[in-house]
Amino acid sequence: MYRTIPYIGLFVAAVLLQVFLFDNLSISIYLNPLVYIIFIALLPLDAQPVTLLGSGLLLGMTMDFAMGAAGINTVATLPVAFFRPQLAAMICGRENVREGGIPSPGRLGTRKFFLYLSTLTLLHHAIFFLLEALSWSHLFHTVLRILLSSAVSVAFGWIIVRIFTAKLPVRV
Amino acid sequence: MRKLIEFIRSIYVAVLFVVLEAAAIGYYAHSSSYTQARLLARSNQVVGGVHGLFAGIRRYLFLGRENRDLAQRVARLEEQLAQYQEAETAARLDSYLQNIGESRYRFATASVVGNTLNRVQNLVTLNRGRKDGIEEEMAVLAPDGSMVGYVIACTERYSVAMSVLNTSFRTSGKIADSDYSGSIYWDGVDPNTVILGELSKYADPQPGQEVVTAGLSEYFPADVLIGWVESAELNETKTSYTVRVRLAAEMSRLNEVILVADRDRYEIRELQQSEQVEQHTRLN
Repeated sequence: MYRTIPYIGLFVAAVLLQVFLFDNLSISIYLNPLVYIIFIALLPLDAQPVTLLGSGLLLGMTMDFAMGAAGINTVATLPVAFFRPQLAAMICGRENVREGGIPSPGRLGTRKFFLYLSTLTLLHHAIFFLLEALSWSHLFHTVLRILLSSAVSVAFGWIIVRIFTAKLPVRV
Repeated sequence: MRKLIEFIRSIYVAVLFVVLEAAAIGYYAHSSSYTQARLLARSNQVVGGVHGLFAGIRRYLFLGRENRDLAQRVARLEEQLAQYQEAETAARLDSYLQNIGESRYRFATASVVGNTLNRVQNLVTLNRGRKDGIEEEMAVLAPDGSMVGYVIACTERYSVAMSVLNTSFRTSGKIADSDYSGSIYWDGVDPNTVILGELSKYADPQPGQEVVTAGLSEYFPADVLIGWVESAELNETKTSYTVRVRLAAEMSRLNEVILVADRDRYEIRELQQSEQVEQHTRLN
C-alpha cells in the first residue's frame, strides 16, 4: 500500500466534510449528499479486496458513529467496497485496473471516470436511502432522493477528486 | 486440505463481506431510535464541540434575521395586546352604565387618552368622538360619578373636554341638601381643590359637607358630586362665602370617564332663545 498518508488525510477530510458540512446542508429532504463515499472511489485501482473491504468497514463505522446512525452507513458502504473491483473492471477495463494507481479523470478519461464515480455513488445512495425508507410505499420519493442526492454527491465528489489528484503526476 | 485452504483464500473476502454486511444489517435491524440517540449522544461527546462552534457561527449569522423576526413578533403582539386592552376597556366602560336606565340624560363612556394637570387651562382628551355619539357640552364624570368637566370640542373619533382644573371652567354648585348655590371655578393653584364662590352668607358651610352641582348649569345634571367642603371664609363685605372644595374626582388618576348628555338641553335652550321669550324680556 502506497500513499498512506494522503489517504489518511482524504479519509479525515471526507469524514469531517460529511459531518460538519454536508450533513448540515438541510436545504431539502431530497438533498442529503453522502460525499464521504468518494474515499472508497479514490482508493488505488489495484488495492487488495481486503484493503477495500477494511476501508469500507472503517469508513462506514466512522460515519455511523459520527451521524448517530446505527449501521446504515456501514451497510451501504460495504457493498460499494466489495463490488468496486468488479465495477471498476467492467467500466474502466481490466487493463486500467491491473495497471493500478489512483482513479482520476486524467488516468481513466473523463467519461469513464464519471461513469465509475456515478455508479459507485448511485449504488451507495440507493442502498442507503432504500434502507432508510424501509418501505416501498414512497418509492418515487425515495428514488428522487437517491437521484438528486447522488447528483449532488457526484458534483462535490468531482471537486474533491480534482483537489486530491491535482498535484499528482498522471503516473505514480 | 491444501485445496480447501486455497478455496477459502480465494473467497475469504466474499465471506468477510457477507459476514460484515450481515452483522451491520443485523445491528441496523435491531437498532431503535433509542440506540441511535445513544450513539449520537456518544458521538456528540467527540464532535459536539465542533458542532457547537458551527452552530454558534450560524446563530451569529442569523442574529439579524432573528432580531427582525422578534421585533416583528413583538409588534404583532403589542398590537394584539392593544386590541385586547381596548376591548377590555370598552367592556369595563360599558359595565358602568348597566345600572343607569333610560332617562332625560344619555350616557356614554370613554377612556382618557390625554390629561394635563400642570397648566392653568387643563384639558382632558377622550377616545370617543362624534361617531360614538359624543357631542359638545356633554358632562364628563369620573367613574364614581363625580364631576370632571364638560366636552368642548369633538372630532369623529376623539373629543376634548375642559377639565374642572381650568380657569375658564364655570358651573354652579351648592351645598348638598340646601338650596344655596354659588359658582364653581378653579383658581389655578391646587389641582385637588376648587372654589365655590358667591355662596350665600346664610348657607353656613361646614368642613366635610358635600358639594354638588346645582342643576342650574347647562352642562351638568343636578346633584353630581363635586367634592367636600375643606374650608370656608366670608368675604370682606360679609355678604358671601368663598368655600374651598376638595375635589371628589381624582384628576391625576383619571383613566375612564362617563359622559352625560342632556337630551332636553337643546330643547330648553331653543325655548330660552325663542322669539316669544325674547319679546317678553324686551318688553320688561
